[in-house]
Amino acid sequence: MASVVPMKEKKLMDVKIGELPKWILMRDFTPKGIAGAFQRGYYRYYNKYVNVKKGSVAGVSMVLAAYVLFNYCCSYKELKHERRRKYH
Amino acid sequence: MLSRAVLSTVATAAPCVKNAALLGPGVLQATRIFHTGQPSQAPVPPLPEYGGKVRHGLIPEEFFQFLYPKTGVTGPYVLGTGLILYFLSKEIYVVTPETISAVSTIGLLVYVVKKYGASIGEFADKLNEQKIAQLEEAKQASMKYIQDAINLEKSQQALVQKRHYLFDVQRNNIAMALEVTYRDRLHRVYREVKNRLDYQIAVQNMMRRKEQEHMINWVEKHVVQSISAQQGGVAQRSFEVAVVTFLWHGCKFRAADVKVKILQKSSPPSLPQG
Repeated sequence: MASVVPMKEKKLMDVKIGELPKWILMRDFTPKGIAGAFQRGYYRYYNKYVNVKKGSVAGVSMVLAAYVLFNYCCSYKELKHERRRKYH
Repeated sequence: MLSRAVLSTVATAAPCVKNAALLGPGVLQATRIFHTGQPSQAPVPPLPEYGGKVRHGLIPEEFFQFLYPKTGVTGPYVLGTGLILYFLSKEIYVVTPETISAVSTIGLLVYVVKKYGASIGEFADKLNEQKIAQLEEAKQASMKYIQDAINLEKSQQALVQKRHYLFDVQRNNIAMALEVTYRDRLHRVYREVKNRLDYQIAVQNMMRRKEQEHMINWVEKHVVQSISAQQGGVAQRSFEVAVVTFLWHGCKFRAADVKVKILQKSSPPSLPQG
């Protein structure tokens, strides 16, 4: 496997579909690793959309939209009962 | 507490830490080694001007670019429309009274953002610029202050090179003062010596005068005696009177010469030797 990068520390986009389970299992699932993943994700978003000279509303609105969707998903169980038709 | 425990384990585990065996947990703070790596010398990169592009304030541009090769420009919009219709028809999204309030809220927000977004952005930019200008001013002031200090230091260092002028002037002053004292003392010596010599001369003059006077008195006395003894003629008497007057006026002849002359005229007296 000389053509493959020796370490399996590739980015997600470079991983082939067949290798995906192996790649996922290789990741660091300790609490420290998960916290690190959240931190990395946060700083990636922050540095891309918020920490700029001329920021726009998109930095905040994307977070709010995601929060709205998340809450809708969480409360779908109760909302199911307010459907207008039973069969779709 | 935790740090101490960690440090003690580190001290026992890593022999590269200095004096690990000798230290207790309380003393470790004094000899911890910091900043062993090289500091990065690169300057901090400046903030980017604009954030990642986002379309309609919700969907990042990368999504549109991701779908562009396969579906062209309208792909994402068609996908969006299809998804919305699907959610509505299958009632994955349920139309409730909350939908009305959501629609009106979102409509209001969109209106506000569209109308006042630019001006609020400019206001925020102006605040930022003020802050940056303040910092820049502080930086410039500090740089100017330091530059002034450097210039002052340089000028003072240059002054040090010119110290020899000062020393030359001082040396000249001292030489002149020495010369003046030397001449003053020379003059004083001259005056003192002259004083003493003048004294000697004055003493000699006085002695001579005293001798002269004494001689004149003696001569006068003997002349008078001889005149009264001999009962000489008027010519002789007048001649002797003339001699005495002549002597009284302080002639330059020595007293001894005068004595000899008088002795030739009268009997030899006992003269004081002087």
